[in-house]
Amino acid sequence: MRSLLAILAAKAASKLNRVSGSGGSSFPGLVAKKIDKDILEKLVLNNFPRGIIVVTGTNGKTTTSKLIANMLDEAGITYVHNRTGSNMEQGLISSLTDSVDISSKISAEVGLFEVDEAFMPKVCRAIKPDTIVVTNLFRDQLDRYGELDKIARSFRSLFEDLPGANLVLNADDPLVASLGFNLENERKATYFGVANYNGPKLKHDYTADSIFDPFTQEKLHYTDRYFSHIGRYRGKRGGFTRPKLDFVAEDVKQKGIENIKFVVNNSTKVIKLDMPGLFNVYNSVAAFATAKIALEISDKDIIFALNESSAAFGRSETLSYKGRELLLLLIKNPTGLNQVIQSYLLKEKDRLLVFVINDNYADGRDISWLWDAAFEDLSDYKGKILVGGSRAYDMALRLKYAGIKGVSIEPDESKLLAKIEMNSSKRSKVFMLPTYTAMLSMRSKIVSEDEKAKEYWQ
Amino acid sequence: MKKIKIAHLYPERMSIYGDHGNTLALEQRMNWRSIKNEVVRVEVGEKIPNDIDLIFIGGGQDKGQLVVANDLLKKASQIRDFVESGGPLLSVCGGYQLLGEYFISNDYGQIQGIGLFNIISKATNTRMIGNIVVQSEKFGQLVGFENHSGATEFIGRANPLGVVKKGYGNNPNDKLEGVIYKNAIGTYLHGSFLPKNPKVADWLLRQAIKHSGQTLKLKELNDELENSARKFASKRP
Repeated sequence: MRSLLAILAAKAASKLNRVSGSGGSSFPGLVAKKIDKDILEKLVLNNFPRGIIVVTGTNGKTTTSKLIANMLDEAGITYVHNRTGSNMEQGLISSLTDSVDISSKISAEVGLFEVDEAFMPKVCRAIKPDTIVVTNLFRDQLDRYGELDKIARSFRSLFEDLPGANLVLNADDPLVASLGFNLENERKATYFGVANYNGPKLKHDYTADSIFDPFTQEKLHYTDRYFSHIGRYRGKRGGFTRPKLDFVAEDVKQKGIENIKFVVNNSTKVIKLDMPGLFNVYNSVAAFATAKIALEISDKDIIFALNESSAAFGRSETLSYKGRELLLLLIKNPTGLNQVIQSYLLKEKDRLLVFVINDNYADGRDISWLWDAAFEDLSDYKGKILVGGSRAYDMALRLKYAGIKGVSIEPDESKLLAKIEMNSSKRSKVFMLPTYTAMLSMRSKIVSEDEKAKEYWQ
Repeated sequence: MKKIKIAHLYPERMSIYGDHGNTLALEQRMNWRSIKNEVVRVEVGEKIPNDIDLIFIGGGQDKGQLVVANDLLKKASQIRDFVESGGPLLSVCGGYQLLGEYFISNDYGQIQGIGLFNIISKATNTRMIGNIVVQSEKFGQLVGFENHSGATEFIGRANPLGVVKKGYGNNPNDKLEGVIYKNAIGTYLHGSFLPKNPKVADWLLRQAIKHSGQTLKLKELNDELENSARKFASKRP
């Protein structure tokens, strides 16, 4: 009875959200949980006959789940997905209360959820997923998440509490790979990874954390490090080492900032993804492995879905602003930022480049991470650089110490937009790298300005 | 002029909180003055060269600290001799804790430090997180970000780096932050520490030059951006 009340209240809150256009996607979840604290557990009970999939990790959660969703679409499997990136407990509840009917039934076959690392133990103990995907673990908002080892430890004990769950793990990230090492009762994890990578690498990568054996703290031997601590490594004989890959991507070839090609498991079919970057190859092969082992989707459907995929909201999104083509690239932590530098900025060094760095709670209050990113690799960047956000001066200082001159500072967002217009010509292309809250506010400013302009001309 | 050599201790295991910014600030502030310099990375099991002029050690994950603590004990007398002879040293967060008498950790019990600083540290259940502003007699206003659950206290005589104006500092109680002993500094401030606090960076460099047996007056640099960044940072919640 209590849960019915919670569902109805959440549905009402959701409707109110849509009418007023405010409140945010986690508001209905908040309402439901206030009424029934066990609502999450009750919502999934007796639902999702083909299973629940959870995707977590530092980077790539949203893109990997979106790729899995595309594969489900292609295979004609129905699912519920917290698609807006609301990946904490309340966001999950909201996505479920939206889909449930008053008899607590959800018609979808699969539940597909991206879950914030910090909420994993709580959320997973409630929804008991059948498959858990871990993309990677990098240093990220240490003020919110704490150290990597702490997260890894919480995952390990969670996996012990869910003995039936499939684990889909990144073999090329030692800390993630170690989560499937020596599991009880001969339980085996499914490993994905990249066999080899001959593309460009950054010269100033300071972000490697997990280059040590997580059990003995001895240094691992890398035969190739692709980026951060991701690569081919081996440990001591008889101890922890890089696991054998069950799903392997290779022949990775990137063209400009347009796309990246690769093959999976020696297939003759080349996959062409319409987004660049080795990290997206990892997201793809993670999704591939999941679709295969959790749902037995055919290779044909999986490859078709990957070829048709585009980037997730704000992750790499093209907006039009006063005739300029503005590519929005979300940055959250040094490893993600390095990937953006490598896959985008170094490919088109002439564009106007705009950093918008906020330090609100959702961005992480600590901006130390800017010092760990590879701005030194941008020393020969040719385009004009603008910096904005509440930490514009910190960003400018970082660039100064990277030896980059002529940076222009504008903390105010509206004035920054005016500066973008001033420093670029019509039909030119602009890179904008915002932190999370800066992405949300800049995006809405740009979209509304652009709509105003369109209405004017119509 | 002979080049100035900085030893960066344990960059692989002890540089999780933007510590790269500290050595970068030292390097660039020498480059901009045409002072030749070199940063030598010293990992576990490797020797600190005898002819170094400055030592830096950053903060790491709790898990890596035991290995580092054991290795530091082997380097203890060299580091102590260096500091006793006026050599400058900067230690941040985890590195700072390990240069004290001991650190009582949650997972590993008491970890022996090298006793350079008259401090002891204990793991607590409160994580001291946030922007921090400190007033220092020697350097004026200092800003940074702190993120530690270890609380540090002085034993016997010790001079703090400064008094906390906002944030926690060494511990939640006495409003003191960091320590200075001779030309060695310990602090919880990262963010990174030196870029926004250039007075400390230049003071360390002056001591390094003196320690190298050379005389050179440091040229003034234009620190307008550094000072603006510090001002903005000091007002953030």
